[in-house]
Amino acid sequence: MKATIERATLLKSLGHVQSVVERRNTIPILSNVLIDASGDGTIKLMATDLDLQIVENVQAQVEVPGATTVSAHTLFDIARKLPEGSQVRLEAADGKMLVQAGRARFNLQTLPRDDFPIIAEGPLPTSFELPAAALVQIIDKTRFAISTEETRYYLNGIFLHVAEDPAPVLKAAATDGHRLARVTVARPDGAEGMPDIIIPRKCIAELRKLLDEVDGSVRIDLSPTKVRFDLGNAVLTSKLIDGTFPDYSRVIPTGNDKLLKIDPRSFEEGVDRVATIATEKTRAVKVAVEKDKITLSVTSPENGTAAEEVPGDYAATPIEIGFNARYLLDILGQIEGDSVEVHLADAAAPTLIREDEKAPALYVLMPMRV
Amino acid sequence: MSIRRLPETLVNRIAAGEVVERPASALKELIENALDAGARSIAVTLRQGGLEGIAVTDDGHGIARDEIALALERHATSKLPDEAIEQVRTLGFRGEALPSIGSVARLTLASRQAGGDGWRLVCDNGVIGPIEPAAMPPGTRVEVDGLFERIPARRKFLRSPRSEYAACLDIVRRLAMARQDVAFVFEHDGRRVLSLPGGQEREDRVAQLIDRELADNHVIIALEREGVSLAGVASLPTFHRGSADHQYLFVNGRPVRDRLLVGAVRGAYADFIARDRHPVMALFLSVPVEEVDVNVHPAKTEVRFRDPAFMRGMIVSGLRRALDEAGMRVANRADASSTELWQREAIPAFEAASPQPDWPARSAGGAYGGVPLFGDRQARFSGFAPSGRAEPAPVHVAAEPREFPLGIARGQVARTYIVAEADDGLILVDQHAAHERLVLERMRRALADGAVARQALLLPEVVELDEPACDRIEGRIVELAELGLEIERFGPSAMLVRAAPAMLGLSDVTGLVRDLADDLAALGDATSLKGRLDLVAATMACHGSVRAGRVLSVTEMNALLREMEVTPHSGQCNHGRPTWIKLAHGDIEKLFGRH
Repeated sequence: MKATIERATLLKSLGHVQSVVERRNTIPILSNVLIDASGDGTIKLMATDLDLQIVENVQAQVEVPGATTVSAHTLFDIARKLPEGSQVRLEAADGKMLVQAGRARFNLQTLPRDDFPIIAEGPLPTSFELPAAALVQIIDKTRFAISTEETRYYLNGIFLHVAEDPAPVLKAAATDGHRLARVTVARPDGAEGMPDIIIPRKCIAELRKLLDEVDGSVRIDLSPTKVRFDLGNAVLTSKLIDGTFPDYSRVIPTGNDKLLKIDPRSFEEGVDRVATIATEKTRAVKVAVEKDKITLSVTSPENGTAAEEVPGDYAATPIEIGFNARYLLDILGQIEGDSVEVHLADAAAPTLIREDEKAPALYVLMPMRV
Repeated sequence: MSIRRLPETLVNRIAAGEVVERPASALKELIENALDAGARSIAVTLRQGGLEGIAVTDDGHGIARDEIALALERHATSKLPDEAIEQVRTLGFRGEALPSIGSVARLTLASRQAGGDGWRLVCDNGVIGPIEPAAMPPGTRVEVDGLFERIPARRKFLRSPRSEYAACLDIVRRLAMARQDVAFVFEHDGRRVLSLPGGQEREDRVAQLIDRELADNHVIIALEREGVSLAGVASLPTFHRGSADHQYLFVNGRPVRDRLLVGAVRGAYADFIARDRHPVMALFLSVPVEEVDVNVHPAKTEVRFRDPAFMRGMIVSGLRRALDEAGMRVANRADASSTELWQREAIPAFEAASPQPDWPARSAGGAYGGVPLFGDRQARFSGFAPSGRAEPAPVHVAAEPREFPLGIARGQVARTYIVAEADDGLILVDQHAAHERLVLERMRRALADGAVARQALLLPEVVELDEPACDRIEGRIVELAELGLEIERFGPSAMLVRAAPAMLGLSDVTGLVRDLADDLAALGDATSLKGRLDLVAATMACHGSVRAGRVLSVTEMNALLREMEVTPHSGQCNHGRPTWIKLAHGDIEKLFGRH
């Protein structure tokens, strides 16, 4: 293999690819990136952790087609340190790959490309396109609620399913058992009859990074076990979480009759301020809601107390309820408009938070009892 | 085969299977008889671990001549004057021991009542001989020779003389611990193993039997509640062992083994001692006889309490109270071996051709040995000299070390240990361990003030367990709720968790509940939930405390010492290690050979 590629192009692609590669691997080839130069002037870069696979195509001048694998992190570090605007020459022969740019030369150990594992996609019967912006919205508004608790592995991702509501919709939900976030978008063509899937957290994180550079739409192909995101230059393929997402619609309260309307910014800032004195582990903030007056307070046995009043619209019977300040901030941070609806029932019941009835995103938060 | 009534000798042998299974069990019966006879001193002689011979001599009230033969009959006893078996006040009462032993060995029973003559009777494997006169002081002497000699099947199942001896020693130890008023002498193969004077203080007797160092490292337990009294001796949390073998429980003077003790001890010492270390103790419960059933098993090593939870509570609060009063005390004397360490290492230093390479690590020993050195060796020591600092103490704290138990800080060694001068010695404090403990105690007080915050679960977690485990957890629902775990029954074999302690964050609730079920089964207490909460607190305490390696000013050091003095349990760190030790003046003098 002999090819020349611009340093900036190589760096950008390797940046995407190397984050899929785990830092420590028991299988040596998983540390490597597959570099496949083809005769039509493109180089394919590919990396995998056996659950997630990324393939990225970049332009290059290919003299001799061929393929090899080298350590992804090493090559990325090299590309990062090469001078800006330089041309990088890649030459692979006899189990070594020569990387040359300007007067710098690196001779890297390689592993044979035939050993490189490739995720067998199998048939992906469901196929649809989603605007990149819609996908960004889905991810941004739900990912904070993804659980990190390994024993409930089926919560370690974003749940995607379609429903008739009564209009056909695609819903994305994530929960960690304490709070839930859900985004609803119109069902794209081709998504009807789609199986329910749970996309793992790592795939979401990589996908979100790639989406920053995509303007148009993303093609999604999926089966009950695999999903593939085609973003033009890059293709991300991931195994899905093999589990059953809980029937979350049961926990979304429908009868919360106490409605509080409040400015999310002042609410957020108030919570953030009073939470300063809360101790690290239990950041409980008490929210006392009276007619058109909301009092936020925190009591810490070590530090003292803090309170702040925030204006808001409220007409129902007064209520006092506690929340984990961090959870509340996570949710309020997602609200973009200048008003948020907080639907309360009582101090022990789940609370519903959303911008308004038409907003695609809704959040459910369990209170904390102090 | 027709059904027939078994002959008396065979019945005795069968009964012997229950009461006498090895020399130690025969010995136990004999010593108990001696104690029941009101003996003031008991001598036990063993040959070959009791396999060849056991002899127990007491100075009790003895047996009358015409009753000696009766004593060798089954179910003949003087210990149940009426029919009230629930009212047993003696150690024995079944009237089985002597005939059982007599049916499997050659038993010689000799006895003399005060003012009467002595008589002897031999029972050789169930065959009773004629009664003969015997010359002896008042009391009773029972000799058992050749146990199981005629029953090869039994004999085969006995262990080596050494392990039979160990079992016998354990029995003597337990019984001697229970009765510190009685003198005991124990000899094995002509060697005197134990010699305990009568009328000892309980703590002295216990220390002598378990571990002499316990004498300096114990707390006395005394608690009385609703007619039940608990007394005893327990080790300080800094004095512990690797196994729970040295925890003895006595109920009305009777040594018993009970799981109750294990759980209660674990609960009482939970915050002070690492999970795999065990304190040493001997606890004595005095319970009204109707509250306890001793007639559970012929060997009487088990008892049943009418109200086990109450007894457990007694033990936990008794231990707790004693430990609370002990406050910052620790096993705080540098023990004998460490004093020797100083001497051993210091002396070769004068002769060694080159300094020992590991000296800088043992700065204390090195400094001591290094003083008379000079030249290049002096230069070597200067390598670590800067780590020990002795700031001139400000005038206002320089005086009066006698006012403070932990003394006045004089400096810091290796940026890790505070050196303080107290009225009666030199005190070394591990600054990190001590401060960590202080922070944890403060945090725990804060936690105790308010209820534990609970994070309600959006998706209640169903935990499947077996039915008894669910029952046990269900019985503790209220207590668990106070600790922040809201749980309810969900069908016969599952529990539903509705809220978990907020401190634990997104942790594995299922695992927690499973651990709890195991704890409740094994220890009768929700140790793992408290344990996890404490672990979070302890981790925070660890991060929030002064690290080893930080230079402290004298004012800071003194502040730490003063806070340690007023904080309960500041004597040990969260893992049961001491936070400070004292080198008494006497110990220092010993190092210099001035005593």
